[in-house]
Amino acid sequence: MRHTSIFIVVCVLGLVAVAVAAAPTPGGTRCLDQLGDTVGMAEVGEGSLLYRTAEPGRYIPAPHLATEAHIVVRGILARTRVTQHFSNPTDEWLEGVYVFPLPAGAAVDTLRMVVGERIIEGQIQERAAARRVYEQARTEGRTASLVEQERPNIFTTSVANIAPGEEIQVTIEYGETLRLSGGELELRFPMVVGPRYIPGVPTGPAQLGWSDDTDQVPDASRITPPVREPGDPDVNRVQLTVDLDLGVPLQALLCPYHPVSIAHENGRRYTVALAKADVPADRDFVLRMVPQATHEPTAVAFTEEEDGARYVLVMLMPPNGGSEPRLPRETIFVIDTSGSMYGASIQQARRALLFALGRLHPEDSFNVIQFNSTMHRLFDAARPAMPAALEQARAWVGALQANGGTEMLSALRAALAGTARGDEAATVRQVVFITDGCVGNEDQLFEVIRRELGRSRLFTVGIGSAPNSHFMERAARFGRGTFSYIGSPSEVEERMQALFTKLEAPVLSDIEVRWNDPAAEAWPQRIPDLYAGEPVVVAARLASDSGEVVVTGRRGVEPLEMRMPVDVAEERAGIARLWARRKIASLTDQRSNGVPEDQVRAAVLEVALAHHLVSKYTSLVAVDVTPRRPSADELHTAAVPTELPAGWSRQHVFGSLPKTATRAPLSLALGLLLLLAGAVLLWVSEVR
Amino acid sequence: MRNHPVVIAGLLLMVPGALLLGDGAWIWAKGRLAQVLLHRAWQRARAGSTRPKPWPWADTWPVARLRVPSLGVDEIVLAGASGRTLAFGPGHVDGTAPPGRPGVCVLSGHRDTHFAFLEKLRAGAEIDLETADGRRTRFRVTSTKVLDRDDSWVLEDDGDSDLLTLVTCWPFHAVAPGGPGRFAVWAEEEPSIGATGSATVVPYPLLRQPLVEHQEVAHG
Repeated sequence: MRHTSIFIVVCVLGLVAVAVAAAPTPGGTRCLDQLGDTVGMAEVGEGSLLYRTAEPGRYIPAPHLATEAHIVVRGILARTRVTQHFSNPTDEWLEGVYVFPLPAGAAVDTLRMVVGERIIEGQIQERAAARRVYEQARTEGRTASLVEQERPNIFTTSVANIAPGEEIQVTIEYGETLRLSGGELELRFPMVVGPRYIPGVPTGPAQLGWSDDTDQVPDASRITPPVREPGDPDVNRVQLTVDLDLGVPLQALLCPYHPVSIAHENGRRYTVALAKADVPADRDFVLRMVPQATHEPTAVAFTEEEDGARYVLVMLMPPNGGSEPRLPRETIFVIDTSGSMYGASIQQARRALLFALGRLHPEDSFNVIQFNSTMHRLFDAARPAMPAALEQARAWVGALQANGGTEMLSALRAALAGTARGDEAATVRQVVFITDGCVGNEDQLFEVIRRELGRSRLFTVGIGSAPNSHFMERAARFGRGTFSYIGSPSEVEERMQALFTKLEAPVLSDIEVRWNDPAAEAWPQRIPDLYAGEPVVVAARLASDSGEVVVTGRRGVEPLEMRMPVDVAEERAGIARLWARRKIASLTDQRSNGVPEDQVRAAVLEVALAHHLVSKYTSLVAVDVTPRRPSADELHTAAVPTELPAGWSRQHVFGSLPKTATRAPLSLALGLLLLLAGAVLLWVSEVR
Repeated sequence: MRNHPVVIAGLLLMVPGALLLGDGAWIWAKGRLAQVLLHRAWQRARAGSTRPKPWPWADTWPVARLRVPSLGVDEIVLAGASGRTLAFGPGHVDGTAPPGRPGVCVLSGHRDTHFAFLEKLRAGAEIDLETADGRRTRFRVTSTKVLDRDDSWVLEDDGDSDLLTLVTCWPFHAVAPGGPGRFAVWAEEEPSIGATGSATVVPYPLLRQPLVEHQEVAHG
């Protein structure tokens, strides 16, 4: 009896020892630590510093890439054609995989592949089915391309069987609506997916990305394209033109981050082109348009008929609201001090925060939270904005440095803590979240915002040259706030001023949209609260092309009503797809509200397939008819490297110091311990 | 009388014990054996061979020879500081100045093998760094410091000084790997001690990713 129990204890001990020695060292949640783990279990725990290739040491030639973008803006609608030229400078057959960003609301509906003289149109299919079609063509030596969506703003183009010395053109097209806010229309064309922070424990080996998949970001390797190393040749040069006609005279046309040439064509039409022919794809292209004061758009409607249904897109700008007495407020500032914020970004963030501190009134209370690998609060609880506390805050903020990981979850929780309970209606609680949003676990964060928001309102401020627009927009949406961007130091005051105008002006809430058409299906179904200068934008599918849309809401205590007849809407192609894209976004959001993924998937599939749209569950695939690659020739797959976003420091993103301890001491210690224990047992049995 | 269950239990403990001991010993032995092969590869590098592979399946190559005369240290430094590389020798951290070039050159190594000597380095100690073109640079240790793994400012180049920075994990004698502590040694460049060889100079950054090199790898 006693022997049996000794036996069991020993077995357990032995197993534990083996498990300890074989297990990867825990705590590897930084993107770099995981890199270390990709090099194989044999050297687990030793870590590497910088990305080299997916498989360290194997240099794979990637196809060269050049991108051309042509954007046509008419009124508040934009249609963009992006052509990616994949060329193969080697004498081998190549497959190229390129991960790239698009605006978060882009409705990708077209794929066209040009192989020599042939043009092949892409077909929409369920994601897995599209991938099968692509893989089959790939194996059979036929040239094929596949466009998949990884996030609403991250897409992947794969091109298989690019012949030696050949160029394949892949063209995609998407529609979107411009953002109207504070009398200004904004067009954003992102060019690079900034390296995202990937939290969690590795679950599978990296293939083409620099990160492993993890338990928190199961598709991490798909959204972490390799980053070009300094000294390596240029990777992706962009040419971009915008054909612009807002339909109203312009007071200003600004392109804040790129030198451009602007030609006034005639009347209200302009052509904007990048001044230099080939710019590196390392930051968002932004165009801001300010209509003349008397021509600010107040009501816009577009319509399209498709398959017997009438689709309308309506934008209504509520009249300026009166002012309300300013309520005391509790403002929690959260500032991202992770490595990706190093350099210009952290300077902008600090200045934005210092500006915001200056806007507090003595009756307000506030706190500041900074986060990177860990989270720190300035005060244990929010304090009144009295001079001493503000002075302390300024000193603290002024000394913030950017370094380390982006563990956003704990900071978000801390900022929202305690607001779910206790309903102190007298105070307004606002969370101002200053970040570049470069994380891979967006859905997890949205879920927390939705669950723990309580009476707080969340306002995101996107910082830097390549902010994650999907995170900014959706986090603000779930947080019932609004988002803004700061892309250069010179914009800090102006953008923060605009944000505070919104924070302090009365909110338009309880918004309802009614169509006098019983068959109307409008998206989004619930209109979020609107801040000063923001319009209601809603798309609907109607049974008839007449009737009226009525928008009601409440600003403070004042009721508000806006009406617009539908038949004045201007006929325009692409409205049905914009409607479908909005429906997909709303359906996707339902996942955070507890609707099962299967149900969401089925609903999204139906609308995406019907409207030929790329989504999380549908992809576009184009396949050439004739096999070209001889079966004897190998196909080499390579990820197309991307630029590091402008102003980023490679070392602060990828550069935690190398891990430099082997498991040898641990193995030796455990081994000796076990040998000793075994020897003791043998000795005991001998003695007895 | 012999007590069989206890004997079996004892043996059951000793088998994984021996395996673990062997594993630990192998890691250390590998580090030493590799240096022998690396010294050979270094001779080839000095003779003008571009990126000589210390063994046929290697994914790294020697970039410098590091010597600390006072401690009898003589090690070959490899390109890159990934876990795989560091198992064989100290690694040059990508993105920092190449050995022998102006700027901040950061080398990293295991605290329990190649860089265990860092513990004994004191201010004033001499470090010699030799590059493939035969140039030797002498550095003198100025300071040491215990850091955190997030202190990546160590890798930054302020543009003014030519430094050699050696980084390893800390504490030196911790049993378990993976801790957050790091230890850095800074050494400043002494006036040149002259070249000793005449090998062709191959600019280090240009050695990366030549397509020809790949084709060989891809087929192999």
